[in-house]
Amino acid sequence: MASQEGTPESRLGFSLSSNDISFELDESVYPLEAIYGASYLFLDRCYVYLTRPKDQIVGVRLTAQEAAGAKELDALAGSFANELLSQTLRLKLAQSTARIREYYTAAALRAATSSPSVDDLLAELESEELLEDPLEIMVPWEEKHGRDQGGESSNG
Amino acid sequence: MAEQLKFHRSLYLAEAVEAAAAAYAGHAKIETTRTPEGVDAVIDEAGEYDLTALAHAFANHVLHETIALRRQAAIDEGV
Repeated sequence: MASQEGTPESRLGFSLSSNDISFELDESVYPLEAIYGASYLFLDRCYVYLTRPKDQIVGVRLTAQEAAGAKELDALAGSFANELLSQTLRLKLAQSTARIREYYTAAALRAATSSPSVDDLLAELESEELLEDPLEIMVPWEEKHGRDQGGESSNG
Repeated sequence: MAEQLKFHRSLYLAEAVEAAAAAYAGHAKIETTRTPEGVDAVIDEAGEYDLTALAHAFANHVLHETIALRRQAAIDEGV
């Protein structure tokens, strides 16, 4: 953007002042929760002040904590805009997957409450017929394959 | 000259403004007034501190308090 009478202007079209940069956000595009999320992350980097110029519009003013030029303020606002987009996306994803997350949480809780206790597992173990050996795991190899127990192995 | 800040009720919680005013009471004279639009705060007598910087820090504190209170309320409601 071209400068007027030597006054630096924001490349991103934001309003620049001596040490702050301002812009307006449409709440139908950027929900208030996302604006709060981005603002919260910038509280230690700059001063954030929100205004309500009209319905559905939030004014954001970012003031540098130290003296800053147009370039630094532009970078600050650009970072804020990126973070805002990220927060908006996260919010929309959270909203769109809320039901499936609730379903999985409920299913996990149901499974946890219906899982057997240690006493149940011990009782089940005791009731099992441990002497049954349908796969003949307990039968010695030699016995299974008809060799003499005293016979030597072919491998020595 | 005093600094005046307007905290719109749709963006800031009145409790947050008052909590921040209480937190900054030792650094400056802060008067808050509830209005139909929200809360107005007038900051004056900052003593050794730069009044404008203090007003900015105060606004940050109000925003932080508002976000924290809203998040706590959302957790309490199970949202």
